[in-house]
Amino acid sequence: MAGTAEAQKQVEDVTGEYKYGFVTDIDMDMAPKGLSEDVIRFISAKKEEPEWMLEWRLKAYQAWLKMEEPDWAKVNFPKIDYQDSYYFAAPKKKDGPKSLDEVDPELLATYEKLGIPIREQEVLAGVEGAAKVAVDAVFDSVSVATTFREELKKAGVIFMSISEAIREYPDMVKKYMASVVPVRDNYFAALNCAVFTDGTFVYIPKGVRCPMELSTYFRINAENTGQFERTLIVADEGSYVSYLEGCTAPMRDENQLHAAVVELIALDDAEIKYSTVQNWYPGDKDGKGGIYNFVTKRALCKGKNSKVSWTQVETGSAVTWKYPSCVLAGEGSVGEFYSVAVTNNYQQADTGTKMIHMAPNTSSTIISKGISAGKSQNTYRGLVKVLSGAENVRNYTQCDSLLVSSECGAHTVPYIEVKNPTATIEHEATTSKISEDQLFYCRARGLDEEEAVAMIVNGFCKEVMQHLPMEFAVEAQKLLGISLEGSVG
Amino acid sequence: MDDAVTRSYEKQAESLMGALAGTDELRAQAIKDFAAQGFPHAKAEDWRYSDLRALRAEAFEPATHAGEKPEIPAAMTECAARFVFVNGRFSESRSDMGDLWQAASVRPLANHFMANPDRATELVRGRDGVGLLNTALVKDGMVISIPAGVEIDDPVEIIHIMTNAADCAAHTRHIVELGEGASAHIVERFIGDDLAYWTNSVLQARVAEKAVLHHTRLQEEGMNALHTSKTHVNVDADGQYHATCLSLGGKMARFEAHVRMMVDGANATVDGVALTGTGQSHDTLTHISHSMPHTTSDQIFRTVADTRGKSSFQGKVTVEKDAQKVEADQSFKALVFDRTAEANAKPELEIFADDVKCSHGATVGELDEKAIFYLTSRGIDPKTARQMLVEAFTAEALERVENDDIRTAMTAKVNAWMAARASK
Repeated sequence: MAGTAEAQKQVEDVTGEYKYGFVTDIDMDMAPKGLSEDVIRFISAKKEEPEWMLEWRLKAYQAWLKMEEPDWAKVNFPKIDYQDSYYFAAPKKKDGPKSLDEVDPELLATYEKLGIPIREQEVLAGVEGAAKVAVDAVFDSVSVATTFREELKKAGVIFMSISEAIREYPDMVKKYMASVVPVRDNYFAALNCAVFTDGTFVYIPKGVRCPMELSTYFRINAENTGQFERTLIVADEGSYVSYLEGCTAPMRDENQLHAAVVELIALDDAEIKYSTVQNWYPGDKDGKGGIYNFVTKRALCKGKNSKVSWTQVETGSAVTWKYPSCVLAGEGSVGEFYSVAVTNNYQQADTGTKMIHMAPNTSSTIISKGISAGKSQNTYRGLVKVLSGAENVRNYTQCDSLLVSSECGAHTVPYIEVKNPTATIEHEATTSKISEDQLFYCRARGLDEEEAVAMIVNGFCKEVMQHLPMEFAVEAQKLLGISLEGSVG
Repeated sequence: MDDAVTRSYEKQAESLMGALAGTDELRAQAIKDFAAQGFPHAKAEDWRYSDLRALRAEAFEPATHAGEKPEIPAAMTECAARFVFVNGRFSESRSDMGDLWQAASVRPLANHFMANPDRATELVRGRDGVGLLNTALVKDGMVISIPAGVEIDDPVEIIHIMTNAADCAAHTRHIVELGEGASAHIVERFIGDDLAYWTNSVLQARVAEKAVLHHTRLQEEGMNALHTSKTHVNVDADGQYHATCLSLGGKMARFEAHVRMMVDGANATVDGVALTGTGQSHDTLTHISHSMPHTTSDQIFRTVADTRGKSSFQGKVTVEKDAQKVEADQSFKALVFDRTAEANAKPELEIFADDVKCSHGATVGELDEKAIFYLTSRGIDPKTARQMLVEAFTAEALERVENDDIRTAMTAKVNAWMAARASK
């Protein structure tokens, strides 16, 4: 059918040709292959960590050894051999760059090629008058550059790699790290605790509205490595921050594991907006290679009237398995989750969210859009839970799936668990393809088939796309290969 | 699980060898599989909302004949026949064969297999411990075969009564077969006393081309009972299966409906209402599997959970590869009366074809205060107002009961349940 073929092409345009699949040739420092206490000691020593950090890692490692790899998600992949991977890979550096000028030009070129504004004077290509974005660039296991630090410092905002934060703000890191995602939370989180190599730490002080968008750009480059980073964002009372995350990796035939942990903490009246455009290498047309993206993301709305909003555009990875969640512990706190997940070829995505309503007058919104093409499997899995003490909880959930091939699968698995009568919980889900009627309607008004499909797919994703910050919307728009009718921003 | 429990069930299965012609091999395999996997654990995905600790803790003995004569509930409407099972055994003397036997083949399980030992393989084996145990320990049941073209207008009641059966279990298995173009309405009723017994019942049905099967279930087990029942239905081309289930009783009650849409044009509706009172747990699982194109299904479920009640619904719709043009809808709404009550829902869509229209909706909330205010401002007392609203809330799910008398009787039971909740 023509319409389906068009839609298929659209999605292929998005995911079919991977534009970030090049490899940067650079001298690397690697830990010995495999995972053991010695490797963890090696990582810890490399990062010049304090003793408590090493102990914490070793404890996590011991916990991980006793845990079993979960298998409940609707994804299939060969068993991961955790000994057949490198857990630390960092570009060789002489004395550690003090400023951007000292960063290896090869690295700068890499980021330039990826379109990441690692030089402070630059703004995102293609956006006239775009706001400044501070970037923390993570290359394999280490953060290679963090921009606009001085300017942020003036506002009191701490924005640095987590390794630095462990050295410079140990109390804060000790206080908040693993307070949202406990070490033993799940198999991959425990593994991350043991071997995490870098990531981003953000602290927004009381009453501060972060003057610019913060972002971390993750790049896996080395072969056979896993990337394990941690992001920790603390928004103090009345503060606001918008944080962006992007990721790419070279094309390789082997599968690489990316198991990150992201923790967000919002205190009274604080707001965190967390946006992700996930574009890891998805594997080739036959499902060979690609990243396993097993990430634990959780936000704690700790303070009264705090708010956390997750927006994600998932187009990459061979296997995605993640559920950005909100624990609504502060009275009147708000959790939001907006997601577009596109899968093609042999990609598999099992993603969704959890909204745990613990406090009264909390509300949450979930909008999830899944588009599956090729032979891919796309699953929404989500939980809305209302504890008995949480009065007047409000939740609205909508998950829609669009199927654009007869060989793909779209699945919806929502869980609703309510223990309080005053809760109002609504859930809607639909699964359909682009209907002949819709196509006919558009074509009757003079659009050609391609435009019609683009418009319909656009409309399908619009509710999510409009929640992306403008800087990211551009990238997401490019990713979806579809114009967004200027509704973004 | 306690090994003693497994051994006890193995012994029970052993003693039943030879009871049903042709089934020994199946029985042996089922008990072997049961011993290997035991009862589903709370962590088993399909059983996350049901607590089977009582089953794991000790073995339920086979229920024996009741000492006293149990009271048979009055029929809700004129019936074509009424089959009574007391403690899991068919009681011919209490049953009313009516004139159904003239139009259809009706016989107990043992007679059926005596005549057709080769048909034992048609028994649904079961996958989890509960289903396997039914296969391993089945002794009795009804086999109702309606020949092609025969339409049975009046409902056929199957009444399960448990009495004086503390710590005992009844594993019944009914088989319903509808020939081409046949139609029938099977009403299953479950009642019992206040002892802690276990009803484990399976009904399997085959709906042939253009046949129509109505299936109404009225579950009013005693308040200390465990109730697990499963329905397995295969629907052929242009066949229809319409099920409505009202769950009231049991301390822990679990109902599963597995419906397979086998050929183009098959249609199924599976509806239900669960009213969950103090300390009760009602768990419903439906799985409608669309294996072929142009099949349709619709589900409407309503639950009400009162103090310390737990009502759960897991509804799964699968659309298999190449089953295009499938339409499947599902609506689940739950009312929660107070803070100790709990409602869980897991409406699941699993879709492997692209040209389909599938949807589900789920809501959880309390009675609308505005609606209560509206009614009370018009002179209706609050209690009646609530009752009216609950009646309206559940009405949608009972609407498809085809027999007016039965639907009225079910609505009356909903109202009686509300009336018993004085303060609500």
